[in-house]
Amino acid sequence: MDAPLSDIAPTAVTRAGTASLVPIYALLVATLIAAMLVSATVGYRIYDLGQLWDALFHFDGTEAATVLTNLRLPRAVIAPLVGAALGIAGVQVQTLSRNRIASPDTLGLNAGASLAVVVASSVFGIGSLAGLSLTAALGALVTSLVVFAIAAGAGGLSPLRIVLIGVTIAGLGQSFVQIILTTNEAQLQNLLFWLAGSFVDRPMTLVINCGPFVLVGAVIAFLLARPLDALQADDSTATSLGVPVGLVRIGCFFSVALLTGAAVAMAGPVSFVGLVVPHAARRLVGLRHDRQIIAAALVGAVYTTLADVAARFVIFPLEAPVGAVTAVVGGIVLVLLLRRRIA
Amino acid sequence: MTDDLAIAVDSLSLGYGGGPVLDGLSLDIPRGQITVLAGPNGCGKSSLLRAIRRLHKPSAGKVLIETTDVASLSEKHLARQIGLLSQSPSAPGDMTVEELVRLGRYPHQSLLRPWSREDSRALNAAMAGTGVTHLRERPIGSLSGGQLQRVWIAMVLAQETDIICLDEPVNHLDMAHQIDCLELVRQLNRDFGRTVVLVLHDLNLAARYADQLVFLNEGKLAASGPPEALMTEALIAAIFDVEATIIIDPVHQRPLCIPLRTTAHSVG
Repeated sequence: MDAPLSDIAPTAVTRAGTASLVPIYALLVATLIAAMLVSATVGYRIYDLGQLWDALFHFDGTEAATVLTNLRLPRAVIAPLVGAALGIAGVQVQTLSRNRIASPDTLGLNAGASLAVVVASSVFGIGSLAGLSLTAALGALVTSLVVFAIAAGAGGLSPLRIVLIGVTIAGLGQSFVQIILTTNEAQLQNLLFWLAGSFVDRPMTLVINCGPFVLVGAVIAFLLARPLDALQADDSTATSLGVPVGLVRIGCFFSVALLTGAAVAMAGPVSFVGLVVPHAARRLVGLRHDRQIIAAALVGAVYTTLADVAARFVIFPLEAPVGAVTAVVGGIVLVLLLRRRIA
Repeated sequence: MTDDLAIAVDSLSLGYGGGPVLDGLSLDIPRGQITVLAGPNGCGKSSLLRAIRRLHKPSAGKVLIETTDVASLSEKHLARQIGLLSQSPSAPGDMTVEELVRLGRYPHQSLLRPWSREDSRALNAAMAGTGVTHLRERPIGSLSGGQLQRVWIAMVLAQETDIICLDEPVNHLDMAHQIDCLELVRQLNRDFGRTVVLVLHDLNLAARYADQLVFLNEGKLAASGPPEALMTEALIAAIFDVEATIIIDPVHQRPLCIPLRTTAHSVG
């Protein structure tokens, strides 16, 4: 029942605001550090923290030190970076499209990156990781431009139109990937692992090359937090509040392209992270975007890092592609979300 | 323009590509009063409200607030002058009441001016003024229609604009909530001195709550003035194609329209 007019509540005391969120962020950071340590030390061979310390600060050329610095540490850094980037991108895509089951995949960015890689590999014979990474990032960026241009050209960046065009482009991209791979079986073996997403054998230079793009994308997202809050309401309401709706959408698109492009360059298309992580973030900290973005970055980082550890054991002693692990876990989570009708 | 005008609409024309929706319409909206826009479907009343808030760009003419052309104002400046609640606003069902009402503070903030004590004061005052403070942690998806409408009004109130525009605010509400909502609007007008512009479908509600009633017809101003002057059998017949009897509501002493039959040339 509504309060009757005669019974209007007195002005409430202002709450502490952000204070109650500090434990949540602290817990996520602690979990992330623990997950990164596990990722660095646990795998086919298990090392202890002393060996990790020595490998980092007293490198002595032993096999343990070499494996730790060359193989394990890059994964322990790249996995959370990719997860954070996809988490932040996912939050923005879901708000931009006002659709809780949208993600960078929905915009066709992963399909575009995959197509670019397959074409580069089978047509131009590019085989180096650096070459494929750059191609993947370019593929994601070009796809975002194509989706953006078609949506804007078709008469405005309405949320529904963005999703429809993104899904269509994603389907097209995947079809072309299938066609090229079926006609070129030799490529299939080489690319299958990349196409599922993985953190294996990634050099630390990827972090240096892609990290800045993640940083810029994250900063843009954070600066757009308040207009994104308002864009959760309908366009008329957001405009009435003084939000420059079109400009905010353009900024968001740019940020999502940077974040997804960098993630795909580092790990290939890792699916379902951008879809599932925002749900967890909202559960933890609510719908304000300054909070959602921080929480999604941390949850995404933890999620991919743990998925990468799990990928080492699900078909032990072989490695599963991490994209398969995130998709299995994410798929189950999504089904649960849909059952509870909050997606 | 005199001191007691809040908005002056000057020869405003508007079209979406087909015929004109507003056709050279001029109208003065007095400060500190409730002005109700009414008229048959498609008469342009919602379009006028949205054009006043610059959600539609006019093809000719202008809208002045305090002698300033709205076309010359920045987005945020305009949003600090006029609040508008559109006809069917939407937001995610898991957004809390407080998160939604906070949005009203958007035009008062910037990168260099984040959430302040002043914003907290306005947020709390808006929730208290609409009686939704006890709901602040509730997801809006769990509220009744009447509660939800109060929360949306709280969001517009938190914007702390001198002018508040509401587009058919009681459309989807039952009778009790319609009265409740409009009593709230009147209270905001009387207690906070806000200029209110309302679009209402129901003529009897319009007559009961309007200080100034405005009839639009086919994109033009048909008549404006106090409800007593506008609610006449001749005007109702001319504008709404309805033969009606007007009596005075014995409780509120406002005109009450009793529709008898549609006139011959009215077509659905």
